[in-house]
Amino acid sequence: MSISLPYRSADDAGNGLPRLSPAPSLLHNRTPSSSRTSLRQPSLANVPATAALFPKPRRCKSQYPRDSSERHVEYILVASFHIDRGPIMEHQYPTAISGDESMLAELMLPDQTHVRSQDWTIFFLHKDASADADDDASVSSKKQKKKKGKRKAGGDEVSSMEGRTQEADGSIESEDSSDDEEEGGEGPPLMYVLNLVNTKQDNTVKRGAVVKAMAICTRHSFLHIYKPLLLLALEDYFKNPYPETLATLYNAVNNMDLSLMPRLSLLERQILQASNCKDMFIEKFEQMIHQRSLEDGAPPPDDNEDPPSPKRQGPLQYALPRDTHEFESKVVYNDIPIPVKVPTVIWPETVGDFSLIKLIQTFSAPHTSSPQAFPIHPHLTTSGPFTHPIIVLVNAMLTQKRVIFLGHNRPSGEVAEAVLAACAIASGGVLRGFTRHAFPYTDLTKIDDLLKVPGFIAGVTNPTFANHPEWWDLLCDLPTGRMKISSYIEPAPVTEGLLYFQQQASSHHYPSSSNTDPSGDNVFMEEIQRSITNRYGENAIRAKWRAYIMKFTQVAAAFEEMVYGASNLFIIGPNEELSPESPSGLQADPLDPTTLRGHGYVWPDEGAKQRELLASVSRIEGWRTTRSYYSFIQDIAAMYFPARPILKPDLHHHHSRLRALRLSAADSGAIYIAFAHAVKDYAGICQLLTITPENQAGLFYLSMGLFHPYPPVREAAVDLLERIAAHPAGRHFWAQLNRFAKLAFFRIKRDRDASAQSPAFGLGTELFGPRSLVGVAMGDNA
Amino acid sequence: MGASVSKIMGKIFGTKEMRILMLGLDAAGKTTILYKLKLTNQDVTTIPTVGFNVESVTYKNVKFNVWDVGGQDKIRPLWRHYYSGTQGLIFVVDSSDTARMEEARSELHKIINDREMKDALLLVFANKQDVQGHMSPEDVTQALQLTKLKDKLWYVAPSVATEGTGIFEGLAWLSNNVKTQPQK
Repeated sequence: MSISLPYRSADDAGNGLPRLSPAPSLLHNRTPSSSRTSLRQPSLANVPATAALFPKPRRCKSQYPRDSSERHVEYILVASFHIDRGPIMEHQYPTAISGDESMLAELMLPDQTHVRSQDWTIFFLHKDASADADDDASVSSKKQKKKKGKRKAGGDEVSSMEGRTQEADGSIESEDSSDDEEEGGEGPPLMYVLNLVNTKQDNTVKRGAVVKAMAICTRHSFLHIYKPLLLLALEDYFKNPYPETLATLYNAVNNMDLSLMPRLSLLERQILQASNCKDMFIEKFEQMIHQRSLEDGAPPPDDNEDPPSPKRQGPLQYALPRDTHEFESKVVYNDIPIPVKVPTVIWPETVGDFSLIKLIQTFSAPHTSSPQAFPIHPHLTTSGPFTHPIIVLVNAMLTQKRVIFLGHNRPSGEVAEAVLAACAIASGGVLRGFTRHAFPYTDLTKIDDLLKVPGFIAGVTNPTFANHPEWWDLLCDLPTGRMKISSYIEPAPVTEGLLYFQQQASSHHYPSSSNTDPSGDNVFMEEIQRSITNRYGENAIRAKWRAYIMKFTQVAAAFEEMVYGASNLFIIGPNEELSPESPSGLQADPLDPTTLRGHGYVWPDEGAKQRELLASVSRIEGWRTTRSYYSFIQDIAAMYFPARPILKPDLHHHHSRLRALRLSAADSGAIYIAFAHAVKDYAGICQLLTITPENQAGLFYLSMGLFHPYPPVREAAVDLLERIAAHPAGRHFWAQLNRFAKLAFFRIKRDRDASAQSPAFGLGTELFGPRSLVGVAMGDNA
Repeated sequence: MGASVSKIMGKIFGTKEMRILMLGLDAAGKTTILYKLKLTNQDVTTIPTVGFNVESVTYKNVKFNVWDVGGQDKIRPLWRHYYSGTQGLIFVVDSSDTARMEEARSELHKIINDREMKDALLLVFANKQDVQGHMSPEDVTQALQLTKLKDKLWYVAPSVATEGTGIFEGLAWLSNNVKTQPQK
């Protein structure tokens, strides 16, 4: 019973419908009564059923098409420390990168690089390629014009860039058209620079050492994959200090082939990221290979192997990934093949390889062993003077404070990692605007520019920054693991929302003193630390932070609705109105089960809501004037349709009600029936799956509908789960469902099939909508 | 508790703490002096400083936090960021580099005329006294126009940093002349 087929059955690939699920035959395998007759149906018979459920897949597109004009790496730079002149740029390839050369050279030679033989740094350039890249700009000239003129203050240099050319052919499905949204209205993508610096003692040269640095400039945020290449190339450059060495590296990295990496929609990316399943969306990778082999003119792969093996499908030269979270490719440098792994899903604000666990542990350990009181600042110390430092950091970033990570005597790569981790933690992949104002590594030479940026996040190794509290609001010292709130920090202004809550609190007397952790942050941090101790892994910790930031935005939306009467942070669905007379769970239209009202975050009771909002008032109000707040509002609007194929009911809200509340049978029944009515197509199921991640009990709460006292609700739950099980991503969720729920599922199905054949059939199913199409197909075969 | 004990001890025995900034043209010998102070009897070989070095040295009950900042002309504008809170300036000159003595004078006067440096003691190391054709401490005093300085406590100490000659005498002058204990 608990066996699931982890890979789609082989007969789908041959007919060119790889996204179709093997579900019908799979379900038959599991159905005790009908297993033998139709164990392997001809795949054509499946098509009408599943094709209606999930439309015929379009051509699967590549994230990095072969014919793209966009290069993986745009520039290679070499700088050195001249004993008379300081940092200078030695070579640039293919052309000179426009802008301030000496500034670049300074960034490439971090402070104190003379005391270590090797150091890595990362920095970002607000740079665009149009000025000097006229050779390949024709494809995207329209986009360039649009993007031109968006100049950003505080950036080093800004103009326009050759836009993303992915949309050039214009044949995108609606769910894919959102793929540009990460860039939002913030101007051209950043140029990420990964830099390696080596110091070689050499007695034959004046003053005894040669310091050289080589950097790769790329628009890809996964720049860490180039580390081994830089190591080799810089070593070569010490031997052959000529532009040819740069050219070799440039050509090698740009010949990296990522064209078989499929492009995923926003919802698909969310599902993949939240899942630990190593073959989630493997179908898309298969389809990419299939398309490629057709293009190559090779015969389509022979698909009659049984059982299908992920390694053997497709022509041998194109292997499927061992884990769909990463795409494996290689870079051939000087005849040495260097394997690289490129992440399939890249969240906004996730740059390079950093560790949230490391960041959390650095600042948790001293806090746990001997907590130090912070001076109170309403935006930052939301749980009093002993607020957890990581919460202080996140609050500082949410309220756009100036944050500095200081790592005296540490490699500059270490402070850069801390900055990148901080950006990721505050963003959660939900909010934007942090990396764009981050300076993973910077030094005194840039201080004047840095201070022009409101709310920066910077990494430095020079302890003189600690002596200038007027430069920062929060100083995070990596060697000691302590944070310091500056005495120069601007006090939090008194706002409307704050006054509102102060009045509320004085008139209602919510027992805030009885609860020592009204924001829930202490409990949350304890849980995070427990997860780290229990070795849950980086991915799990990132998922928890994502949920934390997501919740923050929902709490902020509830706050705005309460104080200002409406919120920018949430677009309420059709049939929905903001009035106390339409409580959550009310069905607006008696004939349409999907018109279930209610939206937003779900608290167990009104008191809990008031306490939590009161505890968060200051930081929410602090957030409401920041860049990340405004870009979030933009994103909400831009992603409304791509992220929400199901506009009504609010799936997230009602799923939370199932989780958090003790609902009456009628209330919970209405939810299951509404879900079964609303969630029918591929994208809709994707949306549902994004709110039922593995680490939050998966399909458990949906499966509880199988035990509902009302038979129609149980049938609705069966319909819904059946569709999910037939869904390419949903089948993994189905496989993880407990056996108890699956038994109930098959029992209800069997009963229904039996009653369908009996004359008394009709009433129950007719009342509650059409049976699932898969069920129809199976009924036909029975 | 531990901190307060050492504070009392500090009062009794007069332990002071002093933030020292060490500047000078490139290749004057700043880093060599710093590491001769830190690692008294060892040979020191240095390479150009990218950015800065900072070390703590305790000498005659004074804890010196010495900042040594790279001297290439392009990075000299950064020196000013190290001024605030500095109680003593060590300015290192290469006594044999007569050609750049004027450049050194100009840089030195720029530093000590800064408002944030007005209370700082000035110690000049006339370094590289072992090199042929070096200027004497008196000549260096002349060349740097130190006698023109008003309201400034200054001292020129001859030194050979690579051998460690003269540098502790300079430090002794600083510790004897530092008046107040810094407010930490």
